[in-house]
Amino acid sequence: MSQDMLMLLVEGLGETFYMVTVSSLVSALFGIPLGVVLVVTGKGHIKENLVFNQTLGAIVNAARSTPFIILMVAIIPFTRIIVGTSIGTNAAIVPLSIAAIPFLARVVESAIKEVDAGLIEAAQSMGASTGQIILKVLIPESMPSIVLGFTLTVISLIGYSAMAGAIGGGGLGDLAIRYGYQRFRADVMLATVVILIAMVQIVQSSGDYFAHRLNKR
Amino acid sequence: MIMLTELQKVYQGESGPVKALDNVSLEIEQGEIFGIIGKSGAGKSTLIRCINLLERPTAGRVLVDGQDMITLSEGELREARKRMGMIFQHFNLLSARTVLENVAFPLELAGVSRSEREKKVEPLLELVGLTDKRDVYPAQLSGGQKQRVGIARALASEPKVLLCDEATSALDPQTTESILALLKDINNKLGLTIVLITHEMHVIKAICDKVAVIEGGQLVEIGKVFDVFTNPQSATAQDFIKAVVNNKVPDTLAKLLSEVPIVGGNLVMRLSFFGEATNEPFIAGLIRRFAVDVNIISGNIDHLQDIPYGTLLIELSGKDEDIQNALRYMQDLDLRTEVIGYVARHAHVAG
Ligand SMILES: Nc1ncnc2c1ncn2[C@@H]1O[C@H](COP(=O)(O)OP(=O)(O)OP(=O)(O)O)[C@@H](O)[C@H]1O
Ligand SMILES: [Mg+2]
Repeated sequence: MSQDMLMLLVEGLGETFYMVTVSSLVSALFGIPLGVVLVVTGKGHIKENLVFNQTLGAIVNAARSTPFIILMVAIIPFTRIIVGTSIGTNAAIVPLSIAAIPFLARVVESAIKEVDAGLIEAAQSMGASTGQIILKVLIPESMPSIVLGFTLTVISLIGYSAMAGAIGGGGLGDLAIRYGYQRFRADVMLATVVILIAMVQIVQSSGDYFAHRLNKR
Repeated sequence: MIMLTELQKVYQGESGPVKALDNVSLEIEQGEIFGIIGKSGAGKSTLIRCINLLERPTAGRVLVDGQDMITLSEGELREARKRMGMIFQHFNLLSARTVLENVAFPLELAGVSRSEREKKVEPLLELVGLTDKRDVYPAQLSGGQKQRVGIARALASEPKVLLCDEATSALDPQTTESILALLKDINNKLGLTIVLITHEMHVIKAICDKVAVIEGGQLVEIGKVFDVFTNPQSATAQDFIKAVVNNKVPDTLAKLLSEVPIVGGNLVMRLSFFGEATNEPFIAGLIRRFAVDVNIISGNIDHLQDIPYGTLLIELSGKDEDIQNALRYMQDLDLRTEVIGYVARHAHVAG
C-alpha cells in the first residue's frame, strides 16, 4: 500500500474518531438526562406525570424507529441550521447525535429501572429531595449498566459513522466507498474493515472493564 | 411522641379499593419501644409508613413530636423525616457506597461537610460493632452486618424516633437476637423512641414495652406487652401468643376431656402466674392443705420485661369436694386459673 493510501487511512481514522467522540459526548449529554426523565415521570415513580411521560416516550420511539440513512437525509435542513453546512464531518455529527440520543435514553431508562424501589424509599425516609435521589441514588446505583449502555451506543455510532461517509461525511466509511468500492481497491476495503473491527473491540473491552470496576455488587 | 388519630388508608387496587387501614388510633410515648404485630397483609407496613408519610393516609391525623405531619409542605416534610430514622427488612443499603459512606448518607443529604461526617460516623460504627468494616461494600457483609449498617445509618441524623419495618424478618434466630439486643441498647443509651413492626411474637416479647395487634387494617388490641401476654383479649393476640408460649393441652388428653364435671373425675386446669406469685410454693401448699394429688402435664416459666411469667397445665385428682376446695384456694391466690375440663379417673395416665 502506498504512502498516499496510508495517509488517507490515517486521515479517515482521525475523522471517524472525531465524529464518534463528539456525537458520543453529545448523546451522553442529552441521552442520560432524557433516560432519567423517562424513568422518574413513569407510573408510580418519584415525579409521576403520565401524559408527559407518554408523549416523550412516543417521540423517542419515533426517532428510534427511523432508519439512520433516512434520518440523515430528512434532517438536512436542521443540520444546516446547526453547523451551517450539510456536508462533512461536522455535518455528520448532527444526525449521529440525534440517532444516538433516544437509543442511549432507552438504555439508561432500563438501567435505572433496575434500581430497587427500596433504595428510593430509604432515601426518601432520610429526607432526600428528588434531585438528591437522582444524583446520589439512581445514577450511582445503575452506573455499571449505564456504562455498558453507553458502550453499546458508542459501538452503534462507529457503525453509523461509516454510513455517514456515504453522504460525504468523511471518515473510514467514506474511504471504503470511494476507494474500496468505486475504485476496486480491495486492500483499502480490507484495511478500513480491520480498523473498524479493532475500534469496536477496544471500545467494548474498555466499557466492560469500567463497568466491572464500578460494580460493587 | 407519636399520635395517630383515626387513620385510614384506602389503596386503589386492580380489583377495586382495598382498605389497608381502618380507623386506627394509637399513641406512642417518648422513649418507648412500641411493637405492632399482625399477620401478612394486616396493614403493618402501611401503618408504619404513614408515620413518616412515605404513605399518605386517606384520612386521619399523624402527630410526631407535636408536629402535624400531614399539613407540612414538601420541604418541611423532608426536614421532619430527617428527625426520624427508618430501617428495613431488606436493609436497602446503597451498593455503590462503602459502609462508611452508607452511614454518612443522611448527613451528606443534609449538607454536612465530609470531615464532619466522618467524625459523626465513627462512633456510630463503634456502637453497632462495625469499625473494622468501614471501607467494605455492602455486598461483602452478612445479613446481620447489613442491618447493623442500616441501624447506624438511621441513627446518623440523630433522630428522635426509629421506625423498624420487619427489621429482623430476613435474619436467622441468633442474628435476630443480636439485632434486637442492639435496638434495646440504643433505646437505653439514647432514649430513642422505637416503633417496630413484626409478624413474630418473640420479637415483641424480647424488647417491646407496649404492643398493638392489628388485623385486617383494624387495631384489635393494644396494651403493655406483659398484660397482652398474660391476658390476651382478641383471638388474633391469642393466636400469636400460642406461637411462643406452649400451653396446649396434649391431643391424647384433649380427646378425653369433658366440659361438664364428671363425678369422681379429675380436674384439668391451666394456671398462669407472674411476678411475686412465681416465688410462692403454691403446689406444695395445695398438696399440704387438701387431700389432692397434683399431676403436672406441661409447663414453662419465662421472663417478660424481667418479670417472671409462667403457665402450668395440671391435673388434680382426689375427692370431688377436695378438688373444688383446692380450686377455690387457687382462685383466691394471685393466680390466673382456667378450668380446661374434666377427665374420668384412670381414663388417662399422664406422662
Ligand atoms: N401500593 C398498594 N396498592 C394496592 N394495595 C396495597 C398497596 N400496598 C399494600 N396494599 C394492600 O394493603 C394491605 C396491607 O398491606 P401492608 O403491606 O401494609 O401489609 P403488611 O401487614 O405489611 O403485610 P406483610 O407482613 O406481608 O408485609 C394488603 O391487603 C395489601 O395487599
Ligand atoms: Mg409489610
